[in-house]
Amino acid sequence: MILSALISYPQAIVLGLLQGVSELFPVSSLGHSVILPKLLGWNIHQNDKYFLTFLIATHLATAIVLFLFFWQDWMRIFKGLGRSLRDRDISPDDPDARLGWLLIVGTIPAGILGLTLQDSLRTIFASPTSAAIFLMLNGLLLYGAELLRRRARVTAEEDDARIARTVSWRGSFLVGAAQAIALIPGFSRSGATIAGGLLVGLSHKDAARFAFLLATPIIGAAAVLKLPELFGSAGDGVRGQALVAALCSGAAAFLAVKFLMRYFETNTLMPFAIYCFGAGLACTIWFGVS
Amino acid sequence: MRDDRLLVALAVLLGIVLIAVGIVYLIEPAHSLPGFFPGHEAGSSHHHVKHGIAAFLVGLACFAFAWFRTGPKRATPAT
Repeated sequence: MILSALISYPQAIVLGLLQGVSELFPVSSLGHSVILPKLLGWNIHQNDKYFLTFLIATHLATAIVLFLFFWQDWMRIFKGLGRSLRDRDISPDDPDARLGWLLIVGTIPAGILGLTLQDSLRTIFASPTSAAIFLMLNGLLLYGAELLRRRARVTAEEDDARIARTVSWRGSFLVGAAQAIALIPGFSRSGATIAGGLLVGLSHKDAARFAFLLATPIIGAAAVLKLPELFGSAGDGVRGQALVAALCSGAAAFLAVKFLMRYFETNTLMPFAIYCFGAGLACTIWFGVS
Repeated sequence: MRDDRLLVALAVLLGIVLIAVGIVYLIEPAHSLPGFFPGHEAGSSHHHVKHGIAAFLVGLACFAFAWFRTGPKRATPAT
């Protein structure tokens, strides 16, 4: 087989758009990237080396877009971290510093679990059928979070100050650790973290904001860590497609985060829960009979 | 409880150990790792870079904990 035929440019565009949207929507990007090729009859498999290499570019684009979208927040957070290190104190009056350390505390378990379990979990659960079943479970997880969520207090504080005050160290650690569930295709990283945020008392909007801030270093670091593979032999034949997909992914991610930040001001996870359960159920039945 | 020196000493010690472990993971192939290290595999020349990064980051977190724990006491508001 000719390497350049592994992923066509139209496929790269579709996969890039899909990645950009589904990475941030609480519907599992990994699950969709396993299920969609199977539904469309594409000869692309989740564990193929070239496909994993291809995905690095789309993840990197998503992380860059997220970072730029929250650029001003990140600058304030970095300054807050610097202040706290200088003063050797995380003052309750410095929400930027506290939010920065909350993000670090949340990133550590996600990073460790991701680094150590990613390959094995992806290998074990890479089949479209298992991804469809886990997509159903993701729907139940989102539904459960809506049922069990605490009522968020309404205050006139800025978003980041409210998040920093509401989330405890333990809460941040657990919300961060919940991201690890997204290593299983079908479960959503943003879904798990938004659900976790709701359970620790954040509003939908704050939970989404916290989830996106928490996701940025993890997605970016995972992509940067594997970036050499894209420029090595594993990237032969897919670099052009990866670049196209990255551009599509970046554009889709920008629109997705812009939409979701507005959406969660007044709406809940329920539509995503229903979609995940319905799509997961339909795909499970379809894969079972076909 | 900022004067909890034992906890700080343990955090520093753990930080040093974890960073050392991280370096070992980065420079030694899987077959040369001590037998009790996760990832040890006889005959494998694979470097467990991810394990090394994970150990290194947790080591840094231990240092950060010790750094804040030994910082100046926050003034308590007068009642």
